[in-house]
Amino acid sequence: MKSIGIKLSTTSSLFIFLGFLIAVFSITSEHFLSPYNITSLLTNISYSGIAAIVLTLIIISRGLDISIGGVIGLTTVVVATLYSQNDPLPTWLILIIGLGTGAIVGFINGWCITALDMDPIITTLGAMAITRGLAYVISDSQSILMFEDTTDYISNGTIFYIPIPIIIFILTVIIFSVLLHKSKFGRSIYAIGANELSAEFSGIAIKSKKMILYILSGVAASISGIILLGQTSVGMPQHGLGTELEVITAVLLGGAALSGGKGTIYGTVAGVLILGVLFNGLTISGVRYVHLQIFQGILLLVAVATYEIKTRNEVAR
Amino acid sequence: MKSTLLKMSKICKSYPGVKAVDDVSIDLFSGEVLGLMGENGAGKSTLIKMLSGAEIMDSGEIYINEEKVNINSPKSAQDCGVSVIYQELITMDTLSVAENIFVGQLPINKTTKLIDWKTAEKKSSDVLSLLNSKINPKSIVGTLSIYEKQIVEVAKAIHKNAKVLIMDEPTAALSEKDSKSLFEVIDKLKSQGVGIIYISHRIEEVFNITDRVSVMRDGMFIGTKTTKSAKKKEIISMMIGRELNQFFPEIKSEKKGIALKVSGLNIDGIIEDINFEVQRGEIVGLFGLVGSGCLNIARSIVGVDSIDQGDIDIDGRKVSIKDPKSSMKNKIGFIPIDRKHEGLTLDFSVKQNLSLQSLEQLGSGFIINDSIENSIAKKWVEKLEIKTPNIDVQVKNLSGGNQQKIVLGKTLETNPEILVVVEPTRGVDVGAKMDIYKMLESLCHQGVAIILVSTDVPEILSISHRVLVVSTGKIRKEFKKGEANQQDLLYEASLS
Repeated sequence: MKSIGIKLSTTSSLFIFLGFLIAVFSITSEHFLSPYNITSLLTNISYSGIAAIVLTLIIISRGLDISIGGVIGLTTVVVATLYSQNDPLPTWLILIIGLGTGAIVGFINGWCITALDMDPIITTLGAMAITRGLAYVISDSQSILMFEDTTDYISNGTIFYIPIPIIIFILTVIIFSVLLHKSKFGRSIYAIGANELSAEFSGIAIKSKKMILYILSGVAASISGIILLGQTSVGMPQHGLGTELEVITAVLLGGAALSGGKGTIYGTVAGVLILGVLFNGLTISGVRYVHLQIFQGILLLVAVATYEIKTRNEVAR
Repeated sequence: MKSTLLKMSKICKSYPGVKAVDDVSIDLFSGEVLGLMGENGAGKSTLIKMLSGAEIMDSGEIYINEEKVNINSPKSAQDCGVSVIYQELITMDTLSVAENIFVGQLPINKTTKLIDWKTAEKKSSDVLSLLNSKINPKSIVGTLSIYEKQIVEVAKAIHKNAKVLIMDEPTAALSEKDSKSLFEVIDKLKSQGVGIIYISHRIEEVFNITDRVSVMRDGMFIGTKTTKSAKKKEIISMMIGRELNQFFPEIKSEKKGIALKVSGLNIDGIIEDINFEVQRGEIVGLFGLVGSGCLNIARSIVGVDSIDQGDIDIDGRKVSIKDPKSSMKNKIGFIPIDRKHEGLTLDFSVKQNLSLQSLEQLGSGFIINDSIENSIAKKWVEKLEIKTPNIDVQVKNLSGGNQQKIVLGKTLETNPEILVVVEPTRGVDVGAKMDIYKMLESLCHQGVAIILVSTDVPEILSISHRVLVVSTGKIRKEFKKGEANQQDLLYEASLS
């Protein structure tokens, strides 16, 4: 009962903080609450939010994936390059290859982490460098224009006035909250993160579960990449630069702990929203992007510090 | 035995909702070993924590050498000469023995201003030889045995001029031989005037080495007896508040055919040519000193240790067991030695722990069926008499005995036909012990084949129908029930 109480209060305090931010920005800027700004804010967070949702599961399992940004860049380059050929493959196949890019990177990450027992931070740090490098090589460091109806629709189309990226994000949230909080798979993820040895002794197939998570994370990053590609109509190796930091900040802000076993989808949604609102609000209040990065760094440290202080209090009790 | 070294007077400590220690007064003479006994949750640990500065008491007074002291941090406890050797040793495993003993106060060479290793190592050797130990001060602590690590901790305490030494279940992870050496060390410390508070569940041991025994129950002080004139039954009934007619249940063997056959089991350099059978309805004990390979035999049957050669047959059919998952598929259940790290997910609730091994049975699809999960949890809480406010409490908040029952429950939920049980009652209070034995008895009646690995000599002699004695990786001797007494068992186990 106690743990549920803490979880509830953490998530609800995050939403209270979010409400506070919204209140402040709606006072400081008359444009903040305009339908246009709200839509653009939500569309923007959807792109990194999808990756954050999947990363939540990885962090709960006591892993980490920092190759997200690299995979985003690589995916935009792979898709745009394939499309810009003289006789391009059908778009659906190109998109599948795009998603496959993330899946392959995820598979390799998962294999190193499970079969070779490598540290997830180092493994995905390597993958980050490799994917980013590959993106530069494939694109020859150039931006590749891509005007194509399907990707344009995925990123800019609407269903009942709701932009499709937002719909994809909401679907991801629903699917993964059921998966994490209601399913047997989700329970195994918590068990692995909280105590891997006891999970193994309880007969949970740890390696295959971790493998699935890293593949899912790669695919999620590729989806983010495809959305970004549609929004910008250009594939380029710099796409997604720093996104991993944004995504990790959102997840940790949402209450997940790098030590594993803790975190919720709703927490991450709150983290993503807070980050999105803060960036959007500061931007329209005239704060420059370079300053935003400082805010993001501070937020990451605050998130981790809050967790540490809370755990210390729990131990002291 | 004359001067009062330590006096704790009217100590109280409450946590929200619980009076953990309620008006407890205890005294300790110099050169004395005082046993502190009580079931888990009786308040022993809390009392000790207040003495060592890990917790601060709500009210009460502590006197050392009849002088009132104010202990409010581990540092102030140390300054008063109080040292604790915790059950989970807190040595710094990557550092050397000398660095551990001198932690924070390594001697400095006056001219170079660098660490004077020669002096540190020399002084370490001196302290260690006081404890009859020949451990090399240069050794890395991580490479030492548990006993040696304990000695390093004792040496550290002595080096800091500890007058009051508290030992919390020091023999829990020690072989019989190492325990004996430890008792010699304790004798030596006594003769130097150190007062020792000795916490243990092992009543035999407490009777062998203590001068007096104090008993706590439900946070209260029950009484102190002079060990010589006290009776074991008397102490046990003080601990549990009722008469205990019979410590171990008499479990009848009902052999119903061979369930498990192990042949030619080999792990290079660890176990060699292990052959034995276990029948349904039979409890076979595996006894060996630490490092004998006993634990490895158990672990290889459940797929934790991988074997180099040998066969495992279940119901006459050869099976391949490569991990705990495949052992569970073959209906083998496992109660591991370390419930906190191997058996339980401490942050999970009672319910989530009890269902973890049976996740796939919680409903037909992907989704966990809450009502199935709840009914599993309620069933085991009731069957095993697990004391918990409700099934949603995190297991880390429960006592050792109740935690152990949860490990048992989660395994039994998978309906094992063969059960490998390692140290099922280590660090468990007397009441929970009885419940666990009763459960093993009823499993035996249901025709489960049980392998019991235990270093608790009376336990393994009383509970098992046969005991296989393992030493240096081989089965050396088999005793049928009643054939051996404690001395026989220890004698065989110490041969190599």
